[in-house]
Amino acid sequence: MIIFLLVNMFVLGMSRLRTLIRLTAFQSMLPGLYLLLESRGHITPFFVAFAAVTMIIKGIVFPILLFKAIERAKVKTELEPYVGYGLSLLFGLAAAGLSIWISGLLYSPANTGGRLNIIVAMMTIFTGLFILMSRKKAITQVLGYIILENGIYLLGMAMVGGMPLLLEAGILLDVFVGVFIMGIAVFHINRQFDHIDVNELNRLKG
Amino acid sequence: MIWLYLPLGLPVFFALICLIPFNGTRRTLALLFVGIAISVSSIAVLIGKYEGAVLAISGNSWLFLDGFSVFHLAVMSGVYLLSSLFALSYFRNHDDDLRRFAFLWNLSFAAMALVILSNNVVLMWIGIEATTVITAFMIYTNRTGVALEAMWKYLIICSVGVAFAFIGTILFISAGSGLGEPSSGMLLWTWLRVNSVGFKPVLVKAAFIFLLIGYGTKAGIAPMHTWLPDAHSQAPAPVSALFSGFLLNTALYCIYRFLPLTERALGGTGWAAGILSGFGLFSLILAGGFILFQRDLKRMLAYSSIEHIGIMCVGMGLGGAGVFASLFHALNHGLAKPLAFFSAGRFGQIYGTYDMDRIHNTGEVSKLLTAGLFGSLLALSGAAPFAMFLSELGIVRRAVEGGKWAVLVLLLLGATIAFVGIIGRSLSFIFKGSDPVPSKVKASFPEVVVTLLPLAILLILGVFMPPFLKDFIGRAAAIVTGSMPGGAP
Repeated sequence: MIIFLLVNMFVLGMSRLRTLIRLTAFQSMLPGLYLLLESRGHITPFFVAFAAVTMIIKGIVFPILLFKAIERAKVKTELEPYVGYGLSLLFGLAAAGLSIWISGLLYSPANTGGRLNIIVAMMTIFTGLFILMSRKKAITQVLGYIILENGIYLLGMAMVGGMPLLLEAGILLDVFVGVFIMGIAVFHINRQFDHIDVNELNRLKG
Repeated sequence: MIWLYLPLGLPVFFALICLIPFNGTRRTLALLFVGIAISVSSIAVLIGKYEGAVLAISGNSWLFLDGFSVFHLAVMSGVYLLSSLFALSYFRNHDDDLRRFAFLWNLSFAAMALVILSNNVVLMWIGIEATTVITAFMIYTNRTGVALEAMWKYLIICSVGVAFAFIGTILFISAGSGLGEPSSGMLLWTWLRVNSVGFKPVLVKAAFIFLLIGYGTKAGIAPMHTWLPDAHSQAPAPVSALFSGFLLNTALYCIYRFLPLTERALGGTGWAAGILSGFGLFSLILAGGFILFQRDLKRMLAYSSIEHIGIMCVGMGLGGAGVFASLFHALNHGLAKPLAFFSAGRFGQIYGTYDMDRIHNTGEVSKLLTAGLFGSLLALSGAAPFAMFLSELGIVRRAVEGGKWAVLVLLLLGATIAFVGIIGRSLSFIFKGSDPVPSKVKASFPEVVVTLLPLAILLILGVFMPPFLKDFIGRAAAIVTGSMPGGAP
């Protein structure tokens, strides 16, 4: 969990696109790993298979897709954020504080995950949203979305103990389809405009 | 009940058929229409089988049908039939390959049917997610830069919105985590309706906020509406008709499903309903303001959708007879808005622009389309002989009865602004203008049907409400009001 938190901070301060993708991939593997470690008692083959599929898709398939997208689009490696890196880190601290406050509201002994999990989950959700809003490239928006989904996955684990399988399946489906479609869209944007700067998609107003 | 699976399976089957390379726009369009027509008839069969039962449920109870979903299925079928018929004439001279479009069109039918038929709240959410992904590419049918921009905004904003809805779903379920072993049975709406009384209020409140923001993004409730005018204005007219006519309502449907659950958990304080009305009023006023300053015809119609979604939310939030009026309003909107997009779309094709300052003397181009455009705009502004006047009146009356004067004033204010904006604009289509007018256009048979049929229904419903329809909507409204403690907040 602490690692998760650290990754969030790293992501906020990171200026290089490639490292950012690697970090996100690494973070995406963590919930699956955590799930396997925590539930030693009642492991079923199906359960293991599910965690493995999640980890493979989020940890290996997505990064490969995204790296390909960068290569094809010939993106510069800097992120050109709207909000500077220092300020982003400050935001991270604020988000952590906010998460602790929210977790106090949400936490009850009936939740199996413990309070720390809720804090980390909320903070991850905030980080994802922030990345989504504050960076210019279409690809970083996709990464923000993945981080957001990681947070939701954690929240599900923390809030609904022994999460019904359908819930997990839903999250996986969501991320997979979402990123897949966004990937195609990024490709089209690149072909149409010769760039993937979202701040130049500004012709529709009012 | 095995019939429940038909409206999901058939459209997927036809969607795949549409992909087979037959060559030729006409054949693809014919397939598209046949697919939708058969899927719609399967819904008709389903409703026929259901008649009389209180609740029909599938084997593993993931799918179900009650009065509320029957009503929504009926509206959806109508919107799809009309829009598909319109697509026939709209794309008639389209050169590009339409197979992918026909595929997505049929697939979106299945996705929306899944939302309406789901008893399982996660399955319902998956349905919404599917509609987002499927319809995103329909916006990009005309492969232009602005269409791509609209599609990207739609994807990002709605994906985040839908993710919020998922957080809301998780929180809602976790609110009941003290009640028995966690199992997939806890995800069923029918289970939640019985057991939500014992849920933890704090979590339920947080969950409802997330659900409202999340699904509200998809429904176009302000201030989460920003994707909507772009998507509506850039998508081909039949897609806009579908978006406005029913896609927004599928998202609203999810909020409506959670509204009574939340009220039960909170002991009927009217908290959730109040928030819903608040958002509704805000949308109404904001959209009214934007309508006044629009130049683009389709953008104006998009803002008018936000306005009407706002009115529906207000009606739903007021409870009691307001719920009935709100559903009736959804039906009317489902008729009037596609009609408006049909005629606007055709005029856009004929004039080559949606700029309202350049579309004029429409009567000389086509009497039929002018009747459609003017009639639908009159209806949308809430003018008297049309059915929308009655449904808005119903909501106003409910606000007076409930003594909610602030709501009443804001409601009337917003409706008046929109009325002035729309009527002022629509008059200019018919009169004025010295520029040369495009040559006369002869209307095809599908166009006559899609224009005159909704117009006639709107006029008839404005004067006389058939008893069977009253029963039909009444049963749907009873699901919402009946699940709320004390009937109404």
